[in-house]
Amino acid sequence: MIETKNLTKNYGELTAVDDLDLTIKDGDIFGFIGPNGAGKTTTMRILVTLLEPTRGSAFINGLNVAKEGKKVRRLVGYMPDFMGVYDDLKVFEYLEFFAAAFGIERKKRKSIVEGVLELTDLESKKSATVDSLSRGMQQRLGLARVLIHDPKVLILDEPASGLDPRARIEIRELLRELKRMGKTIMISSHILSELEEICDHVGIIEQGRLVFSGTLEEIRPRLGIESKVRVRVADHQDKAIELLSALPQVSRVQALGGEIAVTFHEGKNADGIVARTLVNAGLDIISIQPERLKLDDAFLQLTKGVVH
Amino acid sequence: MTTALTSTFSNLFDPVRLFGPIFDKELRVSSRRKRNYTLRLIYVILLTIFVAIVWLSVVKSEGSSAYQKSRLALAGKTIVTTIVTFQFIATQIIAVIMLSTSISDEIYHRTLGLLMTTPISSFQIVMGKLFSKLLQIILLLAISLPLLAIVRIFGGVPWDYVLSSLCITLTAVIFAGSLSLYFSINNRRAYVVIIKTVVTLGVLFFFIPLITTALLRPLWLSATLFRNPVTVLPLLIALLHVNPFGAISVNTAMMISPTVAAMLPFAPTGISIFYWPLHCMLMLGASALLIAMSVKVVRKVALRQAVGQIDSVSNRMRAKKSKKSSRRHAEQQDLPSVIRRVTGSPVLWRELRAPMIQGAEGRNSIIGLAVAIIALLITYGTCENYLDEAFTQMGYVMMFTVIGSVFTLVLSATSITTEKETRSWPILLATSMDDWQILLGKAIGVFRRCLPIWLLMAGHIFLFICLKYIHPVVILHMPIFVTGLVVFLTGAGLYFSARFKRTTSAVIACFALALAFWAVLPGVLGLVSMITHDYNIVADLVSANPAAQIAILMGGAGGKWNARAGLSNLTFAWPDSSWHKVWPTTGLVIIYMMIYTVSGVLFGWRAKCRFRRNVF
Repeated sequence: MIETKNLTKNYGELTAVDDLDLTIKDGDIFGFIGPNGAGKTTTMRILVTLLEPTRGSAFINGLNVAKEGKKVRRLVGYMPDFMGVYDDLKVFEYLEFFAAAFGIERKKRKSIVEGVLELTDLESKKSATVDSLSRGMQQRLGLARVLIHDPKVLILDEPASGLDPRARIEIRELLRELKRMGKTIMISSHILSELEEICDHVGIIEQGRLVFSGTLEEIRPRLGIESKVRVRVADHQDKAIELLSALPQVSRVQALGGEIAVTFHEGKNADGIVARTLVNAGLDIISIQPERLKLDDAFLQLTKGVVH
Repeated sequence: MTTALTSTFSNLFDPVRLFGPIFDKELRVSSRRKRNYTLRLIYVILLTIFVAIVWLSVVKSEGSSAYQKSRLALAGKTIVTTIVTFQFIATQIIAVIMLSTSISDEIYHRTLGLLMTTPISSFQIVMGKLFSKLLQIILLLAISLPLLAIVRIFGGVPWDYVLSSLCITLTAVIFAGSLSLYFSINNRRAYVVIIKTVVTLGVLFFFIPLITTALLRPLWLSATLFRNPVTVLPLLIALLHVNPFGAISVNTAMMISPTVAAMLPFAPTGISIFYWPLHCMLMLGASALLIAMSVKVVRKVALRQAVGQIDSVSNRMRAKKSKKSSRRHAEQQDLPSVIRRVTGSPVLWRELRAPMIQGAEGRNSIIGLAVAIIALLITYGTCENYLDEAFTQMGYVMMFTVIGSVFTLVLSATSITTEKETRSWPILLATSMDDWQILLGKAIGVFRRCLPIWLLMAGHIFLFICLKYIHPVVILHMPIFVTGLVVFLTGAGLYFSARFKRTTSAVIACFALALAFWAVLPGVLGLVSMITHDYNIVADLVSANPAAQIAILMGGAGGKWNARAGLSNLTFAWPDSSWHKVWPTTGLVIIYMMIYTVSGVLFGWRAKCRFRRNVF
């Protein structure tokens, strides 16, 4: 759905995006992560046709963003990292204005606007002026605006910044709902714990270069991190340790009080392997918990904290 | 002891200490801006051109050396008065534009509330903003000082005239700047501030004196007749002392002819009717009052922003009013608040949703005021028996054209920069709308918002055609003339609005373009023609000037005698005598309209090309 090839953007002597190759599949939520000034926003702005690349190309649904701008804009909903509002308009008018700007017929607009207001839970605010809304409400309105023309691709630049925990959870739920609706979403955020809960893929960018792109599971081998599973059995802990130690994928087994910590060479389906082995041996499992790699840790290990 | 005193005085008058760190910060920022250096360069170029024109027109190469010497004093006087007049008008325009976003920028970048969490007082905020900008203008005034000093060598120009005119200019600039700053507290958009300031200055310094003079006319006549100045003189002197335009005129007239008291035939001999220090004190007093009001309002707005309520005072007042009126309305009709549906082009709809004057009450009062002013002007003309003169009709049409042109220029120059400043521009560009659609929506929006002014002009022309004071041929000429002018100004305004990020830069560039096309270029070519003795190009350029066209068209078709004349008897005073008759005149007006229209369309096209450059 989204693809960039050797995408480069220079501002004078500064290279904001440097030979970026990126692929985002249809229906995925792609988390775009990087320190401030890494080139995330510039990449997004190129994808939504607001900036022209210095070199390379970018495609959305097979359309070249530099050459087929108008067609691309019909496919994409862009929410920038700032709230550009027409302050003297009411919420309904604001959304209808953008519906008209995207060429939606007048007779269809009312139902569409009411639909997105319902989806973003803004129905009660439809007569309020845009500048009277709180920050969280304005972010929701931004999302509502992005959805007004039912785009296939959503490009959201830090949609949860400055929001309170409840609003962030609501936005997360809304993004999950949009994924269920089949949208491809590219999202940048500094709140990595949130991204790891909703993203299928992540891309980590630093100094304009992509340092990693893939699933969270794919990060472990890249970083040389082993998978761990913690398991608690009802009885026969020694037998369980013996069985698990015999597995070829397992590198180490430790007893930690009432728990057993199992370390794997390979991270794929480690908890499934542990469960299957113990159940087949007739042991009762009280709990089993895979130890997840945190995105924050991966981010810290993959980036150097260097900014332009 | 001396050191301590010096230190106390230097601390007391240290601008950074007096005006706070805002002044310091503004100076640092402005020193990094290229546009300030460009502005100074353009100012010097314009000044030099004007001086050169005056020099060449006064000092002829013919005649004996004694004659040449005698002309030098006249040249000195003329050059000095030209410089004084030029800088008096130019610096006020620059002050109004420069200060039009001074406080609103702080409010909408949300830094005003932040400043209130520091020890900086609201007085320091206002003074820092005002005087940092005024310092730029003082620099412009200082640029002309060496030239004024050199010209004095020619003789005929006393030092006290140079000093008094500079003081009058400076106090007028401080007043205009303070007014612009005051309006910028409650208005987000620069064009609203500029228009409000210009209208207020117009009412204070032109309309009120004009009406007062008309009302005092019977007393004036009796005073002249019976040499009894007691009744009118104090009032006229008072009017003169609170009007910088009157002050600079009288001051200049007194320099040119020391017996200027004769201008007021009822003034007793030996009595000076104008004291410039008194005028300056009064203007400074009025400015101080405005600054005090600004300090009070800024504090309120800043404190509100500091606690999270970011809307300005006028917005709050409007909200209160609209709450009251909507409650009343709901009680009366039991209807929910009105949501206006988008019809037609969304950009045009949006442009028309942002009226120049917010709120029905404000709009009605402004329309009422405009109609009252026009009615009073017509009454004045009737009282004075001026309405049947071609000159009077020319004046009225000129007034509408100037107001319409200023509004068109300012609205078009701010239409895109305003969106850039509120950061809605990238979002609009990210929609699937065509760039041409956006451009056209903006252009039609500007025209629709200025339409009331052109309709008032049309109404005036129709009324006086019916009264047989204007010839009906004007119905043919004026729409052609206005079309070219509006397309040109709208295109140029949109171009500069797309070109610049800041509203003030776009507005200044637009005015500079108009000045360059209609004043500087003819001036430069005038210089060339004085050397080459070929006046044809100058004549063509002068004919292309909208003010000259109004003068020629209304001079030929306005007034009682022209209105009653047959078509073949009408004569229009174009520089080229082959265009004097009606149909050649119509052809010429069409040619100029086409030139202006094509130029406007070209500007519009260039604006479209720049839409997606430097979006952020």
